[in-house]
Amino acid sequence: MSTLVKIKIDEKEYEVPRGRYLLAICQENGIPIPTLCHHESVEPWGGCRLCVVEFRKKRWDSWWTELATACLYPAEDGLCVWTRSEKVMKARRTILDLLLARCPGSEVITKIAAEHGVYQTSFAKREGEDNCILCGLCTRVCDRVGARAIATALRGALKEVSTPFGEPPPDCLGCLSCAHVCPTHTIGHTEADGKRTVWGRTFELVRCSGCGAASVTREQVEYAVRTKNLSPEYFVKCDACKRRESAATFAGLLFDERKGGEGPVGPTGSGPSHE
Amino acid sequence: MQRLTSPDALEKLRAELAGKRQAIKKTVFVCCGPGCLANGSRKIADAIGLQMEKQKVDASVGYRRCTTGCHGFCEQGPLVIVQPGDIFYCKVKPSDAATIVERTVKGDELVERLLYLDPGTKQRCKAFTEIPFYAKQTRVALARIGTLDPTDLGNAIASGGYASLAKALFTMKPDQVIDLVDRSGLRGKGGGGFLTGRKWRSCVKAPGDRRYVICNGDEGDPGAFMDRATMEGDPHCVIEGMIIGAYAVGSHEGYVYVREEYPLAVEYMQLGVDEARKAGLLGDNILGSDFSFDIKISRGGGAFVCGESSALMRSVEGKVGEPRAKYIHSVERGLWDQPTVLNNVETWATVPVIVQKGVDWFRSMGTKGSPGTKAFSLSGQVRNTGLIEVPMGVTLREVIFGIGGGLFKRRTFKAVQTGGPSGGCLPEDKLDLAVDFDELTRAGSMMGSGGMIVMDDRACMVDVARYFTAFLVDESCGKCVPCREGTKQLLALLTDITHGNATEDHLARIEALAATIMQASLCALGKSAPNPVLSTLKQFRQEYLSHIEKKRCPAGVCKPLTRFVIDEETCTGCGLCLKACPVDAIRGEKKKPHTIEPSKCITCAACREVCPVDAVEVAS
Amino acid sequence: MSNVLIVAPDRCIDCKKCELACSLHHAGSLDPDRGRIKVLNRGVEKGMPVVCLHCDEAACLIVCPVGAISRCDETDAVVLDETRCVRCKACLAACPFGNITEDRVDGRVLKCDLCEGAPMCAVFCPSGALVTRSGPRPLRSAP
Repeated sequence: MSTLVKIKIDEKEYEVPRGRYLLAICQENGIPIPTLCHHESVEPWGGCRLCVVEFRKKRWDSWWTELATACLYPAEDGLCVWTRSEKVMKARRTILDLLLARCPGSEVITKIAAEHGVYQTSFAKREGEDNCILCGLCTRVCDRVGARAIATALRGALKEVSTPFGEPPPDCLGCLSCAHVCPTHTIGHTEADGKRTVWGRTFELVRCSGCGAASVTREQVEYAVRTKNLSPEYFVKCDACKRRESAATFAGLLFDERKGGEGPVGPTGSGPSHE
Repeated sequence: MQRLTSPDALEKLRAELAGKRQAIKKTVFVCCGPGCLANGSRKIADAIGLQMEKQKVDASVGYRRCTTGCHGFCEQGPLVIVQPGDIFYCKVKPSDAATIVERTVKGDELVERLLYLDPGTKQRCKAFTEIPFYAKQTRVALARIGTLDPTDLGNAIASGGYASLAKALFTMKPDQVIDLVDRSGLRGKGGGGFLTGRKWRSCVKAPGDRRYVICNGDEGDPGAFMDRATMEGDPHCVIEGMIIGAYAVGSHEGYVYVREEYPLAVEYMQLGVDEARKAGLLGDNILGSDFSFDIKISRGGGAFVCGESSALMRSVEGKVGEPRAKYIHSVERGLWDQPTVLNNVETWATVPVIVQKGVDWFRSMGTKGSPGTKAFSLSGQVRNTGLIEVPMGVTLREVIFGIGGGLFKRRTFKAVQTGGPSGGCLPEDKLDLAVDFDELTRAGSMMGSGGMIVMDDRACMVDVARYFTAFLVDESCGKCVPCREGTKQLLALLTDITHGNATEDHLARIEALAATIMQASLCALGKSAPNPVLSTLKQFRQEYLSHIEKKRCPAGVCKPLTRFVIDEETCTGCGLCLKACPVDAIRGEKKKPHTIEPSKCITCAACREVCPVDAVEVAS
Repeated sequence: MSNVLIVAPDRCIDCKKCELACSLHHAGSLDPDRGRIKVLNRGVEKGMPVVCLHCDEAACLIVCPVGAISRCDETDAVVLDETRCVRCKACLAACPFGNITEDRVDGRVLKCDLCEGAPMCAVFCPSGALVTRSGPRPLRSAP
């Protein structure tokens, strides 16, 4: 059991579990905090620095205030936090100004920047097409998924998200998780004729043996079967066809081969029972 | 080497080795530190060995040749020292080997021409202890470097190595060791200056299954080579310090993180660890006690950011070397999320000496807040570049003009850059500042790991700030926005100034951006990245204004803002500049004032470099 | 103790009110395609409701690479945490019964969560084909 501690956010008191990150606390309590590099499926990162808040605490013998990223700052007793102080807003505006210089074409960044009163960048704009802000969400999610197909390469101003040696990534599953979590929607991918292309590699989609519909790649299915020990049978048909099949199975079990008054159930099902 | 299973066995071995050493009549030490090596000291060592054999003064008759780590006085390298007598030969060439062996080793004469010439007294110094560069130093962490062969454990033991370990293991409890280090006031010498004893105690208190100790040998500051010299010159003092630290905090596994660019340091540390393990000083049941500890060498790829503790730990784990937030300290959750003590090479090297000589001795040096000594690598426009160690609290003036011998002829002091790329520049009126952690920070610079770069009147402070900012742009790991994008924009603004494209609001924009980078960056690298700009802006604002308003670089460094002219009155018409000019822009007759043709001049400053009377000036 | 959703297909009149209730509750619109329950027709005014079985060994839960699907302690339901979902659609492909679908409007993954213990489909079912009953979740094994 986690102990509860008292903290103050924007002069209002909250009782929260010790060690819980401030961003989560704010989100639960409807306190808006902008963030670009945070996703619940991965560990907090502290890269975009947009979620900075000002906090005051006692260290040794004196009080001091400092900026900290809410996504990584754990709640502790007596913590005082301001989420929209002048210092906070100034830092956020400069960060958005910098991001706008990096990705002048990004609608997402433009929108958040405008919300903070930054309508155009005061810095030198970066040349280039992509809207990558190097938040690292794609690479972190790819690690989490287990594929580890992409990573950041180089460092500093030259840093980029890359596949190994810039070639089509051999370990990619084509699951598009990276594209989904990308806050600026900059990971390009296409889907046509049962094929999906992402990171310069084309994947064959598994077509439903019944209707030909497709939603996942062969690599995804093979990965699931190999690492999660699931039956390959599960993946042969699409959701709609599987649903029709299970409806038919239940109907068959219930109405055509009715035995006594007992309600049979689905193959491995439990929970809502069919009577 | 046999396995030592008790402290008595260690002492017995030490006595045995000391006895053997007593029988040695003379030892020739050849400095094989990085500077001397680059100047061919390996060849000198070979030549001396060959001559000793030839002239029959080799080991069999009690003479010894020993290659050592960096002796410190790199400016005068390659160095050869003959003991006894502290005889110090500098700028030695392989061809001098025969003379040295014949006259100083075989005979008892000095080779006058190889002795150091003190530019102050114009006298040759017989012993290195007479040389101001050495006389004003106090060596603690570097004490043994230059007096022993770093590849030989026996050498280290004969010089008192591992005596502190035996003392700690067999006469002190772990808590007493921490208490000792705590009371000594030893502060982390990697830059932060955090109290070592306090760090160790926090680690002990933190919950965890295992504890780790790490030695940070990823010295990445341009112009810094203290840790390198220590690892290459006396690896066993670092290893000994780590074992004592591990014993104190209850760790059984340690890592030495060395950058791959230091191949010799990697090799010697690895060799040191292997030898120590064979001798029972590492591994299970150290010296027959029930304490076990081992060290692995982890090589870094040379990213500056991997000197940052949390990035270093990720790198040791085999992950991308990026820092992470330290709201939970690494002493509590460090390597593999376990409590970890990370100290710098020099800090570890100091630990055995404190254990040996005690708190009072250590506190007798340095200042109240920063006791003990600190090693610096002195470089830049100073006569005596090299590796030095001084008590904390010594003034910058003493270091630069006393030990460093001041600047070159006709050049005047402008600034000293301390603390590496994220440190700051201090001007002349700060020369009497006492060098310790707090004073330097208060003055707007920092101690850092101990790099000290001296700059003369021909250094442009805007360009210096631009140089260090460019370094940080390249070395930012790129994880967080303020550091990655912010330093890039800071560099763009500074480049505008040095190119003459700056407007009047540039300085305000720089200051505003710098404030956000400092407040909002993730790690210390980003938080301190604006230091070079802010410190030069604070101390040399006029120079910035000259660039912006007058479009003139007073130091004559920023090419678009510089025009050189020859002062008619000063010029002697020697014609050196005319010869040096690569584009034939200089005209003039012998013994008459020369002139520079502005349309041809490419402001390479070659004429200014060669002019013996400083007649080439920056036009106003 | 939890509410169990009981499905009695013989009472289903194929009115599809459950689909509408579900989509209204979860997606805010009356669009049967966005519901997490489906009724398949098996004759005039005869339907077969198909809805997540919250399997003991749920393939979706096992296959999810980011741990977005878990079993809820309170309702015993297998639930999807949308804030964690990375939309790789592995669950959709893995469910042997086809009970996880994709929202064609916004691409979200649709999965029954038993409405935190009070399923809307049962509330709106006029014929008693879908009812909730409180009691322990019956443990069922494969036939």
